[in-house]
Amino acid sequence: MQRAAHTALFDWSNVFGSSMIRQCLKCRVPLQLSTRAYGVIPTPRDAEEKDMMDRILRVDHAGEYGANRIYAGQMAVLGRTRTGPLIQHMWDQEKKHLEKFNEILAENRVRPTALLPLWNIAGFVLGASSALLGKEGAMACTVAVEESISEHYNSQIRALMEKDPDRYIELLQVIKEFRDEEMEHHDTGLEHDAESVPGYWLLKNAIQLGCKAAIYVSQRV
Amino acid sequence: MAALLRGLRAGRTLRGLASVVAAPTAAKPPCISLGRGFHRAALRLQDESKTDKPPTPSSSSSTIHHEHYQAPSEEQEPAAAAASSQEDSTSEAASEEASGANTSYQEHSGEQDEEYETEEQLQARILTSALEFVPLHGWTMEAIAAGAETLDLSSASTGMFTHGAGDLVLHFVAQCNSQLTEILAEQNNQVQLGQAEPKRTSEFLRDAVETRLRMHIPYIDSWPQAMSILLLPHNIPDSLKHLSTLVDDMWYYAGDRSTDMNWYTKRAALTGIYNTTELVMVQDSSQDYEDTWNFLDNRIQDVVKMAGTAKQVQATGEAVVQGLMGAAFTLKNLAGVNQRR
Repeated sequence: MQRAAHTALFDWSNVFGSSMIRQCLKCRVPLQLSTRAYGVIPTPRDAEEKDMMDRILRVDHAGEYGANRIYAGQMAVLGRTRTGPLIQHMWDQEKKHLEKFNEILAENRVRPTALLPLWNIAGFVLGASSALLGKEGAMACTVAVEESISEHYNSQIRALMEKDPDRYIELLQVIKEFRDEEMEHHDTGLEHDAESVPGYWLLKNAIQLGCKAAIYVSQRV
Repeated sequence: MAALLRGLRAGRTLRGLASVVAAPTAAKPPCISLGRGFHRAALRLQDESKTDKPPTPSSSSSTIHHEHYQAPSEEQEPAAAAASSQEDSTSEAASEEASGANTSYQEHSGEQDEEYETEEQLQARILTSALEFVPLHGWTMEAIAAGAETLDLSSASTGMFTHGAGDLVLHFVAQCNSQLTEILAEQNNQVQLGQAEPKRTSEFLRDAVETRLRMHIPYIDSWPQAMSILLLPHNIPDSLKHLSTLVDDMWYYAGDRSTDMNWYTKRAALTGIYNTTELVMVQDSSQDYEDTWNFLDNRIQDVVKMAGTAKQVQATGEAVVQGLMGAAFTLKNLAGVNQRR
């Protein structure tokens, strides 16, 4: 009798709470089936999964957008020096990542984070000010940011693998590919004397703390 | 400006109605499981009323096929559900009778048994049938009770609805939204198959908003009451959710795929247009709501013009910046700063 009451309580709050969402969700499902047969994201089975997917995609999109702006800031300062082509190359790869996420967001009707204007300005300012410390400063900023992003992608990969690696296989491929490229940028930064900037440890940790805060907020807002 | 005054006038009439609505709102039962108790009680009463006329075994076996089919499509076809609901309840009664005891309800109530309707589906059925009584009773518990009675359920089953009349209004809004989404998806299909011309964005949005608002016409006399119910604090989260999904759907089918701040500005603009047009509609007395559609046209033109102006301002700004940079460069040349000696 108690167990019935327990299950009744659980089911009731589950069903009634998400009944409205499910009604709305039901209108979206036929649309997704009719647009593309093979998308990167599988059609969500319920509101919980849609919510989880939305968070993952939103924060990844915000991350690539921010990285884009950071490189833009660095190029604005160091564009005409010897490191210009190197930074440009890394920036081009980030642009490709952002394009991919734009595509995924549009396809899956995910709301982008409302803080995009903030990341726009903050990213540019961070890139430009680290570049003002010279080439080593720019490389140190790159190392810090890319390390944060790689860690973040790794934890997403772990979470998705734990849930259901077969279901999310395309998304996992995309994230793994991007994570490998970010690690490449990180290693490039280290190769180009990132560690020789004065106050490297302080700079790196400050930037990584900022990245963690940005990731936390972008998932929710 | 005139539009704003009209909106304010409508707002004043709403506020008057809000005080009327606040009084008869049903008291919320303190315990969540009370809702489930009502559900079980309602079905038990229904079962008892059916024991007087046991159906023949042949009819019950044929109706079991109906309910297996009915379960997945219930929410999309409220009319079909209402039609097959009678067969549903009689075959349920038959199967319960065959198992022997009323206590079997308690085992089934926690699970989604195929032969047993979920509480959600039952609520949807009651609310759909309650909509017929809205012109008579308004958006109130009386309408829900009358609806429950047409389904041969006790009017005490209205205790299931903890938000009172708000549940009825939200159900209606959700129903209208899914109807609109179906219509827009169908139009989209037609365009993709090449059977119809794609409309311009402003035209598309105008038609979508008109289609959606026309769904209020059968209930337009009591719609101000419904609007003020949606503004009650415990209904606001749900009504905002419905509004945001409605606007998102409209923009999605209009072709918006933006992933930056435009996502927010476009939806905010359309929400404003929709809400103000709704307000104008409830106090519109012209033939076939012509004034409302004219108002809608003007608002959409406003937004289109604003977007165009914003683009122009941006282009002008860029041109000005370029001009200034050029002037600065020329001055540097004249001053000899740019030379390398």
